[in-house]
Amino acid sequence: MSAPLYEVRNISKKYGSVVALDGADFQIHAGEIVGLVGDNGAGKSTLVKCLSGAHKPTSGSIFLDGAEVTWDSPRDAIEAGVETLYQDSGLAPHLTVSANVFLGREKYLSGPLGKLGFLDNKAMNKEAHEDLDRVGIAVPASNRSVSQLSGGQRQAVAIGRAVSWASKVIILDEPTNHLGARQAGEVLEVMKAARAKGLGVVFISHTLPHVLQVTDRIVVLRLGKIVANAPTSEFDAEKLLGTITGLNQVQ
Amino acid sequence: MSTVENTSIIKKFAGNQQFLLLLVWFGMVAFFSAFNSIFFSTAVFGNILLDWAPVVLMAVGQSFVIISGGIDLSVGSTVGLSGVVAAFQMQHMIESGKNQWFAIAIGTLVAAAVGIIIGLVNGFLITKAKIVPFIATLVTMGASAGLAIIYSGGAPVAGGPEKAITLSVPWFGPFSTPGLIVVVIVIICGLFLHRARFGRYTYAIGSNEFAARSAGINVNRHYLKVYALSGFLSGLAGMYYYCRLGSGAPTSGYGGELDAIAAVVIGGAALSGGVGRISGTVLGALILTTTTSGLIIIGVAPDWKQVVVAILIAAAVLLQGTKGDSRGAKK
Repeated sequence: MSAPLYEVRNISKKYGSVVALDGADFQIHAGEIVGLVGDNGAGKSTLVKCLSGAHKPTSGSIFLDGAEVTWDSPRDAIEAGVETLYQDSGLAPHLTVSANVFLGREKYLSGPLGKLGFLDNKAMNKEAHEDLDRVGIAVPASNRSVSQLSGGQRQAVAIGRAVSWASKVIILDEPTNHLGARQAGEVLEVMKAARAKGLGVVFISHTLPHVLQVTDRIVVLRLGKIVANAPTSEFDAEKLLGTITGLNQVQ
Repeated sequence: MSTVENTSIIKKFAGNQQFLLLLVWFGMVAFFSAFNSIFFSTAVFGNILLDWAPVVLMAVGQSFVIISGGIDLSVGSTVGLSGVVAAFQMQHMIESGKNQWFAIAIGTLVAAAVGIIIGLVNGFLITKAKIVPFIATLVTMGASAGLAIIYSGGAPVAGGPEKAITLSVPWFGPFSTPGLIVVVIVIICGLFLHRARFGRYTYAIGSNEFAARSAGINVNRHYLKVYALSGFLSGLAGMYYYCRLGSGAPTSGYGGELDAIAAVVIGGAALSGGVGRISGTVLGALILTTTTSGLIIIGVAPDWKQVVVAILIAAAVLLQGTKGDSRGAKK
């Protein structure tokens, strides 16, 4: 296989005396969906925060496109093309759909007003609609407040936002949580669209059938260590569950 | 029951709360005018607007703070301290024979600077020392009020430019020059809140700070700016009182935080953040100052003012509760 698009090597993270992540290696290739699974407290969230730039690893190195990088803030990772969608907290409910899609990357009016930070809401409404449409999300008017949307619609907007902005890697933390079967299916389709676009997709989930259904490769974390890293075809539901809980090991 | 009908009307106009506030204000004007016809005269309306201007300055700053999910209790004390410091500066300039208008201009800058400094102290206490806004601004509220008394010796600081007080004479309808400047400032703030990035980030942070952070917004720097703006506007309110009284009184902003928060809450902002409009705050401040003037005219002792303001805050918060919590999860 080609060189990894995004990679962490021998990464550790300690919070005081607690070792949340203990020398983990993780790679993601362009056009690949990798499932990241593990029990609660296995270190998934910590690994996600190191990947997204929210936390700095205690030791270890991060490589994007073969070059070593360090993230001082999520902004650095976002600007380098690594988008992260956190569990349940990706959107500002009081803002409109388009304000959320463009949050942190607003479009401004041309001329002196734009220099003062005045926003071009018309252009953002139009583009937000197009962007969401492109990743296969049917969302009501972009000028509606997110608080008026259903849970599934909110999640769709959050994912659409991340997919439309990501240029390299997209990290989705429990994106199918709290969704009905049909909505979860739509989310999985969006992930496939992101893969077809050539993005590296990291899918963190407790819903193992979804992981088995959509991923190309599965990485299992237990107690801060990577205990399995193999193509999805080598797993079935029983074996995956056994690996997560530690009842059997993948050689 | 009429209360049930009222709530359904509120729900119907939930998207246009300004209309409702305007109705309330008209109702109040009619009520007070029925009691005493003097109320309905330009002189009294002029007085209401004179009272309204400094309250709306503080309340507009408070709107940004409350929409961002915080609270600023220091605005009233900031008014007093900035007025006193500016008064000493202007007194000094007049004594050394400087031009009166020049002294007023420098005094305005000094008052604004004092306000910005207090706002930045608030911002640093909140973002660096991680003190919750309520406590951080309670600290600066006490410190500023104390400093204003110590610095002035407890008495108004006079001896500044005499032309300042003539500025407060209304000439444009019921508006004086400082009043007109306040109107312009309020409009500019409204445009930045509702049309520009500054306001967009203020709403985003108040709505979901974590989402704002993960979108790459520098949340701490934005908090600093918001509290600095609140301090800046309160400093200008200090200068407004100077022009109105002809001296810098350490107690000129006494209770100003209550008025400002009341105006914002009556205007429909939610103390949990993410909700509020400048037009609501403007009308909230108008309803507040109309109530306090009206009560005096119908013969209620001025000492009741704070009690009435407190009741208005409670009523506004209760009415907001009836609109239901459609704000979604806030983390």
